[in-house]
Amino acid sequence: MKIKKMVLNNKLIIFTVFAYLAVLIYNDKIFIKGIINTGIYLKEMLEIMPAIFIIAALINTWVPSEIIMENFGEKSGLKGKLFSLFIGSISAGPIYAAFPIAQSLLFKGASISNVIIIISAWAVVKIPMLLVEIKFLGVSFAAARYLFTIPSILLIGIIAEKFISKEEILLKADMNNEKEDIIKRLEKSLPGFNCGSCGYISCNSYAKAIVNEKENINKCVPGGEEVKKKLNLILIIMVNYLQ
Amino acid sequence: MSTILLIIVTLSALAFSFFKDRSKTLRSMKMAKGMFFKTGKDIIGVLFLIGLILAMLPESLIQTLFGNSNHFLSGLYGAIIGTITIIPAFIAFPLSKTLVESGANLVAVAAFITTLTMVGFATLPIEIEYFGKRFAFVRNVLSFLFALVIAGGMVIIL
Repeated sequence: MKIKKMVLNNKLIIFTVFAYLAVLIYNDKIFIKGIINTGIYLKEMLEIMPAIFIIAALINTWVPSEIIMENFGEKSGLKGKLFSLFIGSISAGPIYAAFPIAQSLLFKGASISNVIIIISAWAVVKIPMLLVEIKFLGVSFAAARYLFTIPSILLIGIIAEKFISKEEILLKADMNNEKEDIIKRLEKSLPGFNCGSCGYISCNSYAKAIVNEKENINKCVPGGEEVKKKLNLILIIMVNYLQ
Repeated sequence: MSTILLIIVTLSALAFSFFKDRSKTLRSMKMAKGMFFKTGKDIIGVLFLIGLILAMLPESLIQTLFGNSNHFLSGLYGAIIGTITIIPAFIAFPLSKTLVESGANLVAVAAFITTLTMVGFATLPIEIEYFGKRFAFVRNVLSFLFALVIAGGMVIIL
């Protein structure tokens, strides 16, 4: 059960490790080339992602929702779309760098279409890379690409909005936050010895199992009856509170 | 250069935040640290996978597909190869130039660059983590279709 869960949580990494092992046996030159390629990507990631996460967090704590709603919200109109296009195209980094920032904006009131415009512009309309593109592929190639790409991005945002429910995304995120809240409280009430007598590696993973898998609350041996009562109380109060 | 700019902007924002409100800044840093460890693991896994996929794709295969005499097909191949790989833009442009010089169709290269950057098969797990399955699916499918439109449009005017 525990092993199955660990595998599920890390399936991407486990799959990657197996893929590399298979390639190593089959052809070690490809293996080495893969590692070298990855090194280039990792360097890019480490240069960019810490700054991206910090900016996303700062938006979360500092920027008032009203400002985001006014400039990027459902009622921001064409101005909001052009603004989103601008924000995306001046940014640095690969597409996955856009996700944390776009998510912060979405939670603060940006519309789905504007969030998608930011992500798309971030990916393909790169003012900082324009000179590189012109150098290698020529002015007419770059100009033609931008001419078709910019309206396409706006259309993608507008069309996508019709198919995606913003409420659903927000609700899911909300529920995850509340779950984490309950887990934190449960963990606080556990003794914290990480003794493993409940069958889990740590008090934290036991608390997670109680919330996620409806694990029994009477498994903590050092805590005994007292802890069981506390856990029960937390669950009753939190569940009532949530409803 | 844009990376340096990003870091400078971040550091100034951080300094400003620290100057104005220390506890808020501390909370932001904790949040950033949390995000880094939560998604960082997935991003690193994805990067290793792309590195491997790219190492396995022989350049000669790409050239044959991109040079297909049927323009629509070569555009489609370009879009598909761009979808399953992600290459940083500063490598993608020089690579595209090599491809064009060795006989690739412009439509293939245009579709390749667009899906390469905008459609992410490999980054899908990360996108789902942030926005859910529906969002990721709709955005990627639409971007793929529009990549073909962009490539087709470029061929007409170039």
